[in-house]
Amino acid sequence: MILPFLIIIPLLAAFLITLISGGRDSWAIVFSILAVISLLALSVFSFLSTGSQTFIYEMSGWKIPLTICLVQDALSTFMLVIVNLIALTSLMFSVSYIRQYSAPWKYYALFMLLIAGMNGVIATGDIFNLFVFMEIALFSAYALVAFGGKAEEYEASFKYAVMGSVSSTLILLGIGILYSATSTLTMAKIAEILPTLDVKLTYWVGAIFLAGFGLKAAIIPFHAWLPDAHSSAPAPISAMLSGVFIKSLGVYVLIRLFFNVFGGVAVFNEVFLVIGAISMIIGVFLALGQWDIKRLLAYHSISQIGYIIIGIGLATNLGILGGVFHLFNHAIFKALLFYNAGVLEMTTGTRDLRQMGGLAKKLPTTSFTSMIASLSIAGLPPFNGFFSKLIIFIAAIQAGRPVYAFLAGLGSLLTLASFMKMQRYAFYGKENKDADKTLAKVSTAMKWAMISLAVLCLLTSLMVIPGIRELTLDPVVAVIMNKTGYIAEVLGR
Amino acid sequence: MAISEISYLILVPLIVALINIVLPVILRKLLTAGTVIYLALLTYRLYTGDVTETLILDTVVFSVDKLALFILIFIQVLSAIILLFSLKGVKQEFQKAFFVLYPMTIAFSNGAVVSVHSISLIIFWGLTGIMLYLFAIMDKTKEASDTAKKTMIIVGGSDVFLILGLVLIWFLEPGYGWNLSNNQVLLSGELAYIAFFCIVIAAFAKAGGFPLHSWVPDFAKDAPVESAAFLPAALDKLLGIYLLARISLTIFKLTPFVHILLITLGALTVITGVMMAMIQHNGRKLLGYHAVSQVGYMIMGIGSGSILAIVGGLFHMVNHTIYKSNLFLALGAVEKRTGTNDLDELGGLGTRMPLTFLAALIGAFAISGIPPFNGFYSKWMIYQGILEIARSQSAGYQIWLLICLILVVFGSALTLASFMKFIHAIFLGKRPAKLADINEAPFNQWLATGLLSILCIGFGLFAKELPLKHFILPVMNQPGLNLLGAYSPLMLIGLFGLALLIGLIIYWITRKVRFDEVYLGGMEALEKFRITGTAFYNEIRNLKPLKGIYDSAEKKYLDIYDLGKHCSFGIAKLFSTIHNGQMLFYNLWLVVGLLILLLVIK
Repeated sequence: MILPFLIIIPLLAAFLITLISGGRDSWAIVFSILAVISLLALSVFSFLSTGSQTFIYEMSGWKIPLTICLVQDALSTFMLVIVNLIALTSLMFSVSYIRQYSAPWKYYALFMLLIAGMNGVIATGDIFNLFVFMEIALFSAYALVAFGGKAEEYEASFKYAVMGSVSSTLILLGIGILYSATSTLTMAKIAEILPTLDVKLTYWVGAIFLAGFGLKAAIIPFHAWLPDAHSSAPAPISAMLSGVFIKSLGVYVLIRLFFNVFGGVAVFNEVFLVIGAISMIIGVFLALGQWDIKRLLAYHSISQIGYIIIGIGLATNLGILGGVFHLFNHAIFKALLFYNAGVLEMTTGTRDLRQMGGLAKKLPTTSFTSMIASLSIAGLPPFNGFFSKLIIFIAAIQAGRPVYAFLAGLGSLLTLASFMKMQRYAFYGKENKDADKTLAKVSTAMKWAMISLAVLCLLTSLMVIPGIRELTLDPVVAVIMNKTGYIAEVLGR
Repeated sequence: MAISEISYLILVPLIVALINIVLPVILRKLLTAGTVIYLALLTYRLYTGDVTETLILDTVVFSVDKLALFILIFIQVLSAIILLFSLKGVKQEFQKAFFVLYPMTIAFSNGAVVSVHSISLIIFWGLTGIMLYLFAIMDKTKEASDTAKKTMIIVGGSDVFLILGLVLIWFLEPGYGWNLSNNQVLLSGELAYIAFFCIVIAAFAKAGGFPLHSWVPDFAKDAPVESAAFLPAALDKLLGIYLLARISLTIFKLTPFVHILLITLGALTVITGVMMAMIQHNGRKLLGYHAVSQVGYMIMGIGSGSILAIVGGLFHMVNHTIYKSNLFLALGAVEKRTGTNDLDELGGLGTRMPLTFLAALIGAFAISGIPPFNGFYSKWMIYQGILEIARSQSAGYQIWLLICLILVVFGSALTLASFMKFIHAIFLGKRPAKLADINEAPFNQWLATGLLSILCIGFGLFAKELPLKHFILPVMNQPGLNLLGAYSPLMLIGLFGLALLIGLIIYWITRKVRFDEVYLGGMEALEKFRITGTAFYNEIRNLKPLKGIYDSAEKKYLDIYDLGKHCSFGIAKLFSTIHNGQMLFYNLWLVVGLLILLLVIK
């Protein structure tokens, strides 16, 4: 009975902030921090207590298939932990970062809505309900991207809104087709009925969903909104968007639909592999040429999502383990990198790497954590990114697809190159005298947000140790691999 | 988890490094020194005692065989001597970080050597690469940061290949699991070749083999000089060549074609390194290019497949770490006294820093392969080994091997030439006015270089009795090699002595010496007419066919790093131009993407 609270709490916090705190930022901060701390505690508790079981919550006393159900299994609770973990650090970072904008309380209200939407998408077992929560999350994301109120931010938000709406329409179309064919919206029920229907239906709906959710996940060629939106948003929001948003709305839904509902059809796995590889390679090349630090990070998100998708597309135990683990790790180090970028932007007043330089002395915490995050994303030991990429390499070779392992290797090499470039221009080299005027101080909360994620970059490596893996990652993999298990568990058979 | 003595090789220095973070500098030095001594004793115990294994999660992760033990011993020896040099004289601003990174580097290098499990090898290998980066970014200049970036991209990037290679081995030979102790994978089928060459790339990048060598001279120039002696000259050579030896001796069974290929790459490494070294004006960069050039001999030796040459290659690796760190430290001592490493600004220091001069001279003789120093002995073995395998090849291969051999012998001569320049430019010639009151390096520094010089001589004179017998021949399971025929270092030194004696006698008989100032155009030569040691080599620099090559090399057209950079930026630009910010265009992609998906999925 935990899952409903994970949706109610942020929703309630959002309304309370607008109603009670009305204009007073300190109340907004208190409400949102309390909300997110309780969310994190609840999600961690639910993840640990779920294990390999599945709990169903049927809303308002109706029974499946008439009700909207919430599904608490290892996969959904795992995602909830990621979302709320990053949300907490993001909020810690926001408190002093967001003061530079007007009316911060609105920011917190939107932030809570964003979390409510993401938690809802993850928790729900009803496909139309998923769509509704997705739209809640998207609308707050559009607003948050434009929160700075500058022309380029509005432009980015507008682009994002248009493309997001196009993809949402596609998704709605897919849901409509499914509903007309199966007469139900409960995902488990759909999954049960689909095999009895013409397989072409699955293919068509699958393709439509792949394009629709592929846009949310920013898979190439549906990625074009991401660099603009992620670089224009305030840094903690960029961290949320790149760290968890594209994963909960994109990757998670893709996994849930294509494995648990469509039953892991082989042709979709092939498509995953191909578009994953394309995203990985093109994304990293695009990142390499960037001088805008947040744009660079945004393109890397595309590339890293490619890794996750490749891992998932391999559809072996090891591949999915790698994919899921990388998803978790990417949330951590990418959020951290965006905080670093936020500090750099705040203190130097620019996002252009060429105008920075020699900041390692001035910003020791940022410089140090950024190095850890860079080494993690580049896949160097002993940081978490190394282990998840290693698992993906091993899985690709084990599955008899060494080509993907080599493409992943190439991507890794280029990732390293582009982060070395970032380190070199931002933190080392000659100090830029023009950017000498330090605009703002890095607050303690911001430092702790960065340090805690940097520590996690190291600690989460431990999840590969078999004893810990069996408790954390293995149940998640089991849920994904056990395709029909979802139907049986949810429908109680 | 069974913690055995082997794991102390990693744990102790690692813990010391972590403790060092909070200690004051003087205690950091003491603690590091204590650790290094402890590690040396521990290694000696491992050498004499029974081999133990460390198990983690019921798998053997750390173990030592003869080869690993041999490398371990020299890691400890070298790090002890270089630490002695670093105890006094590391730049004030680097000191704090230096004594944290130093034990950490030893820990990770030890870890890489004792790992018999692929994953732990990959981890420690990557960690040593990160250490390299951290040393390189100590200096905050623009060049140093560029070098750090380049080093990390080449060395860290090569880790990817190591991973792929090792995972492929695991895939090809599932019987061994992740264990690397004695796989003997046959090189058959393309995956085996890919795996082999992936690991070769990692080994080359670490050791500085052609064409992945270009970080070495840059690192040597821009990183703190102690770390240049410590990593690219000593530890990275040990590690890189260790990996090469590991894959060509125990993990894979090589084919004749691969042998020839490795020999060719070795020869290329020798000649490119030495040609570039000749024209350098920066002392550290010169040594850096020689650090590349010498790797060529080791690659040739180990890749050749002849036991004699493999022993020679391993021996050369040890010798190289000794004399090259000796040279780096000697140059470092000079640099710390004079404040420059530019060969054009130095000169005539031989009388001012006689001990350092002597050490550098011995190092220079050793690297140039002058008998009876150690460098000659190992090169001699490699040449013999290559001739030996040439005997069993077809005529075409024989000619090819002969060309390679001539190239490297020529490279050896050029090494001597460029070290004459090095020695002359620093210690001989006319001393520039501003270097008038330079004194001998501090005690710890000349002691360190002195110890290394003694090793250079000792390993040369008693090669058979000391290093070969105790360390290297056991690796190959060869009780004794008796192929060195006529060469006896003691006899040779006798002949040398005789020749010198005759020379001296002639000198005394016909002695007629006048010391005088140098005059130019009737007046005493001015400072600006001082001929620097590098000036002689400008001729070579401007020689007809070489000039073009040198010009393009200096513009970095021939550097694989810069080539790769240009290529990737070109591709990046291509993709960037498609992203023109037009939303209509982006939506078009969406539609096209959807259509393709609908077409493809059926």
